[in-house]
Amino acid sequence: MMRGATGASLVLSLLISRLLGAACQSPPGKPKLTSCRSPEKETFSCWWEPGSNGGLPTNYSLYYRKENSEIVYECSDYHTSGRNSCFFSKNDTSIWVNYNITVVASNSLGSNFSDSVDVDVMYIVQPHTPENVSVVLEGTEDNPFLLVTWEPPHKADTRSGWITLVYQLRVKLEKDDKWEEHFAGQQKQFNIFSLHSGEVYMVKVRCKPDHGFWSEWSTVRYVRVPDYISREMSGWILILTFSALICIVFVWTAHMKRNSVKHFLLPPVPGPKIKGFDTQQLKSGKSDEIFSTLVAQSFPPPSDYEDLLVEYLEVYDNEEQELVFDRKDQEGSLKSKSSSDTDSGRGSCDSHSLLMEKCSESREDQTLTSQVKNSEASRRGNDGSHAGECADVTTQTWPTISPYYHHDQKPCYQSIPEMSEQHGVLDSHLFLTQQQDYWETSAELDQKNPYIGYSCVQAYSEMTINGVAHTEATGPQPGFVEYVEVQHVKQENTLILKPIAQEEHGHFRREMTEHHYSKVNGMVSDNVLLVQRETASQCLSDHQEEENGLENCTQQMAGKSTVHPQVVLAQEGLHITLNGYVDTAAIMSTY
Amino acid sequence: MFRKLKGPVLFLLMFLDVQIIVGSTPICVHGHTGCQALSLADLFDRVIQHSARVHGLSSDLHSDFDQYFLPSKINRNCHTSYILTPNGKENAQRLAGEDLAGVILKLLLAWRDPLSQFHRSMAQHEDFTSFSGNKALEMSDMVQQLRLGVERVAETMHLLGMISNSVRGLISKEALGSQASGSEARSMTDQQLLYCFRRDSHKIQIYLKILKCRIAPEQGC
Repeated sequence: MMRGATGASLVLSLLISRLLGAACQSPPGKPKLTSCRSPEKETFSCWWEPGSNGGLPTNYSLYYRKENSEIVYECSDYHTSGRNSCFFSKNDTSIWVNYNITVVASNSLGSNFSDSVDVDVMYIVQPHTPENVSVVLEGTEDNPFLLVTWEPPHKADTRSGWITLVYQLRVKLEKDDKWEEHFAGQQKQFNIFSLHSGEVYMVKVRCKPDHGFWSEWSTVRYVRVPDYISREMSGWILILTFSALICIVFVWTAHMKRNSVKHFLLPPVPGPKIKGFDTQQLKSGKSDEIFSTLVAQSFPPPSDYEDLLVEYLEVYDNEEQELVFDRKDQEGSLKSKSSSDTDSGRGSCDSHSLLMEKCSESREDQTLTSQVKNSEASRRGNDGSHAGECADVTTQTWPTISPYYHHDQKPCYQSIPEMSEQHGVLDSHLFLTQQQDYWETSAELDQKNPYIGYSCVQAYSEMTINGVAHTEATGPQPGFVEYVEVQHVKQENTLILKPIAQEEHGHFRREMTEHHYSKVNGMVSDNVLLVQRETASQCLSDHQEEENGLENCTQQMAGKSTVHPQVVLAQEGLHITLNGYVDTAAIMSTY
Repeated sequence: MFRKLKGPVLFLLMFLDVQIIVGSTPICVHGHTGCQALSLADLFDRVIQHSARVHGLSSDLHSDFDQYFLPSKINRNCHTSYILTPNGKENAQRLAGEDLAGVILKLLLAWRDPLSQFHRSMAQHEDFTSFSGNKALEMSDMVQQLRLGVERVAETMHLLGMISNSVRGLISKEALGSQASGSEARSMTDQQLLYCFRRDSHKIQIYLKILKCRIAPEQGC
């Protein structure tokens, strides 16, 4: 049973396979014309692609019709152009005639027609490759070039003008990947310049008719360029050497002059300079020499105080320090130094930069001060030019201290600090007590009467010549206050002070009525006034450095001077208080 | 008696002309003293360049048309079919220079009217850009220039004795022919016109090249 089944299935399968084998046979598949090409516009060939053959031997044939004719021709040459091709000979080829070509595949079971193709020979020209391509090295030793020559394919008739070919070159170095293309036109030679010495070049050529397809590339030709150093290279070497030499010279010069170069690029920051002061000497620390330099200024100072540049004198007491500062802020025009003030020539009260503007004086004061001045002048033997000092003083931007403004108002005074009582020396510290209201009112009045002889001392800098600050040496000496009046300004840095007598300050010393003058030598930043006692002895020169020692030139009046400078330190010539002003007593002690 | 003398006389004339036949000798056709002397080779070069330009324009326009219009069944019956033109190299080389020049002139003359008509119709077409319109105008103008150039060449050849018939003789024959095909030309579609003209301009170019390489083969042959 089983054997029977298997046997039957075997037979069945055999039959089926046979039948299937027979069913595989079919009419052929549709062939397809792939391309037609003419190499010289005189003949052409067409190729096709066969479809499936249907399992049977298939016969392919090509038929064509010419334009405007119904005659069907069959291809006469199936072999010349290879397999599945048709070659049209010269006799069969007509230019400017449209061919309608069809390929037929046929086998025993049937036939199949391909799609028709219209061909005009003039548009299907693809020539053969150029022939006899040769590359020759020409030119001189240092300027070679390649001469590439070729010939048109032998079948293309360019001589009669029937076909016109244009050519294209490709060149590259053997080691390169990319070809360099050159178009040669109709010429049959080409020159290649700018060669690399010692390299191998590869060249190939192809051509194309003026309307048609490019041919295949010709075989590649190799050529070797011999080694040489071009003139260009030697020129470059020369230039490099020259520039290297120049660079070396330049660097050497820069090295030699490195200091001046450094100065040029990074100019040194100028340090502060003080006239007549030698920083080096100060550093050396010899006090004798220092003082000798400081006392370089002559005394009495020249009397043409027109030249005096006003420096603001700010005197205040400790409680009102903030007020003063407020004042400062309000005015906004405080200066510690005004040596080159633009208000020179104007009335001191006129100056914007002065609080002194706010202080004004009545005319009565002027007369009074002039009287005082006159007496002083006579005493001191000054020339009569001082008589008109009031008006002159106004031209200065030096804040002068007005003795009193209104009767009911407390004038600005320079008060001698209390310390002087203790030591019985005329304390040349200036201590100006001011009250806020005074300043305010004086400010108003100042505006009204700009040209007043004296003004209140401006609370510019902390002319805290305050004996209170001398805590170390003397300790605070409350209670005693001496007042001096700034009479006028001499030169640019001299403030002539004069003690005044006050009824309310009856405890003033008698000496205060006498004329003791301290000359303000200069201002130190905002908080130090350099005061010079007007005596016959020398004064120390100005010193305007803030931090360093301030020198005061204090001098004993030849006469009876009750204002004595406080001796703070006997040993040192200078002493700076905490507030920054100098106790002149300290200086005096050294003399 | 004159017939007997004709041969030797012609022979003598040829002898005299042999120096000029080379073609590189400058000629002033109209006899002006101040005119620019152009050699025949130069003349040929110029007309060949013209014809190349004309053919290029016709090819461009034809491909433009193919983009815009579906390629319909083209009636390949061109209106210049009556003109017998050599269809192969051998046929063209067999033709005498005179005949070849004649064929060229006939073709150029036959296309004068249809091309101007085509340009006018192009201007009315909205589908085409002005670029195509400019090409059509240029093509029409260049064909005129080309025709004048070829006439000049023919005259020169005639003066040189290369051709016996003058240009007038050639043209007069074709004047009749063009009138006959006038109706046919008008019925052409634009696409057909361009197809036919592309072919004819190529023919003109090839014939001129053949003529040049035969007569003045200095360069490019």
